[in-house]
Amino acid sequence: MAYLLQHLLTETAARTPQRLAIASGDCRLSYEELDRLSTKVARSLRRLGVGRGDRVAILAPKSAAAVAGLYGVLKAGACYVPLDPKAPAQRLSYVVRDSGATVIIADEARLELAATLVTSSGDLAEPGTVLAMGLSGQRGASTAACAQAYYAAIRPWAEVAAESAEPLGQDLAIETDLAYILYTSGSTGTPKGVMISHRNSLTFVEWAAAAAGLTAQDRVCSPAPLHFDLSVFDIFATCLAGACMSVIPDGTTTFPISIAKWLESEHLSVWYSVPSVLTLLACFGSLSNFDLSRLRTVIFAGEVFPPKYLARLMAELPHCRYLNWYGPTETNVCTAFEVAVGDGDGGPVPIGRACANTEVFAVTCDGRRVSSPSEEGELYVRGPALMRGYWGQPAKTQEVLVPHPLGDGHGELVYRTGDLVTLGPEGNYIYLGRRDSMVKIRGYRVELGEVEAAIYRHPAVREAAVVPVTDELLGSRLRAVVAVDDAASLTREALLDHCRRWLPTYMVPDIAEFRETLPRTSTGKVDRTLLARE
Amino acid sequence: METVINGYISQEFVRDTALLPLADETPLLESGILDSLSLLQLVVFLEEKFGITVGDTDLLPQNFETVNSICAYLRAREPEMQNAQG
Repeated sequence: MAYLLQHLLTETAARTPQRLAIASGDCRLSYEELDRLSTKVARSLRRLGVGRGDRVAILAPKSAAAVAGLYGVLKAGACYVPLDPKAPAQRLSYVVRDSGATVIIADEARLELAATLVTSSGDLAEPGTVLAMGLSGQRGASTAACAQAYYAAIRPWAEVAAESAEPLGQDLAIETDLAYILYTSGSTGTPKGVMISHRNSLTFVEWAAAAAGLTAQDRVCSPAPLHFDLSVFDIFATCLAGACMSVIPDGTTTFPISIAKWLESEHLSVWYSVPSVLTLLACFGSLSNFDLSRLRTVIFAGEVFPPKYLARLMAELPHCRYLNWYGPTETNVCTAFEVAVGDGDGGPVPIGRACANTEVFAVTCDGRRVSSPSEEGELYVRGPALMRGYWGQPAKTQEVLVPHPLGDGHGELVYRTGDLVTLGPEGNYIYLGRRDSMVKIRGYRVELGEVEAAIYRHPAVREAAVVPVTDELLGSRLRAVVAVDDAASLTREALLDHCRRWLPTYMVPDIAEFRETLPRTSTGKVDRTLLARE
Repeated sequence: METVINGYISQEFVRDTALLPLADETPLLESGILDSLSLLQLVVFLEEKFGITVGDTDLLPQNFETVNSICAYLRAREPEMQNAQG
């Protein structure tokens, strides 16, 4: 019985050892190879003192080695913390420090960055360690030089490879232990770590593999990086089904035709991404020029799919199933809706009904359950998929994991999503918007407050407001309106440069404007509604 | 043409000021200056500014690698541009 995520791998490896587990460019690993390699990683980590409850960061794009690395972390009884390889060092350093990770598994290109990060992560009595990953060769001299330059021990991959692949014996972890921590935007200026246990994740993974109808014949891809929760699907649900996880090469998603070409050559059968990638594919992918007959299921989540472009995609690829999945990182996917032709004609595509083993309900502002299409309310989620809380932030956790608002008397906590919904006539929930100032940029959550907090760090800034600019084709973009004391003291370039030092690219405003003062409401607050309308 | 396109890309898409001033030979894709969405915004700009239609099949890496390759692509379509203007 699989009660830990790594059991999915050991069970599949025992059942079908020779089947392909991962195809990532030229690198292909069978289930047996992946299982053995991850055991070696686990043994290396154990040797470094990593054990149950410890956090190990992973700094690498999605690859065969990175997946072996994260299974290795789990097998060691620890929890992995995926870092955004594209985020600035300041933010990564915060995440490493906040999570208390003392070991980072990094790919060769990011060895130095990883060494800086473990070095800067606080008052370590012992130096932090970087596990240099790479399936190819070893890195002798440069590894040594790097270790000398930073207060960090660098363990080369050759050492991992030399470990025994014998299974580690009885698992120390239990299903309520943490499997991973995903950092997401926080409204007060620093990211917060969403703690997901094995049980939380498996609840989603088991449902998702069944909902997508995955079989061992499938080739599954999500272009989402490791720190984005969509990647939980292609890593773990694929493994549960014994299917093959295909990693799309970096940069392929920039050109819609390249995606289409890759889908064709890879014989991909299941795709899971944010809608914006699919919009581009529908509009500019020349889909009729490619044979995508193998593609059978297209799943999207993370933001609203404009119905016009979804209809276009469905017309281009009429043989596929289309699934709209909804759920904040904190709950995993909690509702789902299978889209039929014409579903988006009269308005947004519903987010659907609760997934298996999950309950969702909406509560009106006067505390009643939403039960008809004329009412709207905030969506709540209940079930074993809910996160354990925000890492190290009990007060923030209490704001969202709350007693049942309709008082069912069981004392169980439920998650309040901050999303406003209504109930469609067929019993499907329909997303209306946010209760607060969170926006989605290409599926990533962005708290406008966090962007503003980063801008305020600049000494020349007196006032700042960030508002979303929506474009149906391009999705939301961010516009910063800033008042400075001395107009000559800050240029647009300098401001954006400053933002880049603190924020990942998707959170850096696209547009920056300078004003003498910002408009105010009658209560003296910055008038964001007015700014957003301009 | 180079100046116009370089100026637009510098103003709209370059977020890392270490890359400014932008050279016409700077790799736009590898450096992350152009991604799927900024690429489309650029295409809309080129279509409006130069009176052409960029077909799906022209949306290829080789046409957008650098400012120079964008200009080369546009020059190859010059007859169309003249027709549009005339």
